[in-house]
Amino acid sequence: MNRRMLSREDEEAAGEEIEVRREDQDKINKFSRLHQHELSLEEELKLKNKEKEELDDITTELELADDDDIVPYKIGDAFFHVTLPQAQEMLGVSGAKVEEEISELEDKLGTIRQEMTQLKVELYARFGKTINLET
Amino acid sequence: MAQVQARLQALSEEFTKLQKDLQDVVQSRQKLEAQKQENLGVQKEFSKLKDDETIYKLIGPVLLKQDRVDAESTVNGRLEFISKEISRLETQIKEVQTKMEKKKDEIVQVQTAAQGAA
Repeated sequence: MNRRMLSREDEEAAGEEIEVRREDQDKINKFSRLHQHELSLEEELKLKNKEKEELDDITTELELADDDDIVPYKIGDAFFHVTLPQAQEMLGVSGAKVEEEISELEDKLGTIRQEMTQLKVELYARFGKTINLET
Repeated sequence: MAQVQARLQALSEEFTKLQKDLQDVVQSRQKLEAQKQENLGVQKEFSKLKDDETIYKLIGPVLLKQDRVDAESTVNGRLEFISKEISRLETQIKEVQTKMEKKKDEIVQVQTAAQGAA
């Protein structure tokens, strides 16, 4: 963990301690909440991207398969024998759904990051070096 | 006096960093061990297969037929790589542990010297 604490000189140079008002504490707490949310969304995004990659891989592989091959397709805990065109269609549907989910996640992430940047501006303006908001 | 404090603080931070490094390497080593066991299991299953049995690989939601020779050589290759990685990490672990011992000695030295002078 990176602990960027003030050195003795920095502490003296900072001068008088700024009072932490209720609204300041609220902003700090909000920043923390947003950061936690950001981390969890990033994890989810990682998983979704991996899922999409797998779907793309298998779609490519299936293009090389024989048209009359039976494709075992997993639904829940069971495998169903489907035709190649059926499998390709199902993969297409899953792929589109995952892409949509990825897009949603990226939008949410963008909004959160914007809010965090805004809070940083406000908190650094008020507290300067005496607060550390780097993640 | 303040100088000794600062020195001890620095050494203590260095020691904490080494502890974290050790933790990270040990975690990686544990992950590799799990991968090794999984691949060994697959290898064992392969050895039990009759000539007419098929191997499938799960990619996404689809079970794709695999060529037997390719599948076996992929698993063998993976096991070789994992073994090499495990050896490399074990060397790294020993190195970090040695560094930690040295750091501990340094700290004790500074503390004893400070007590002697007081």
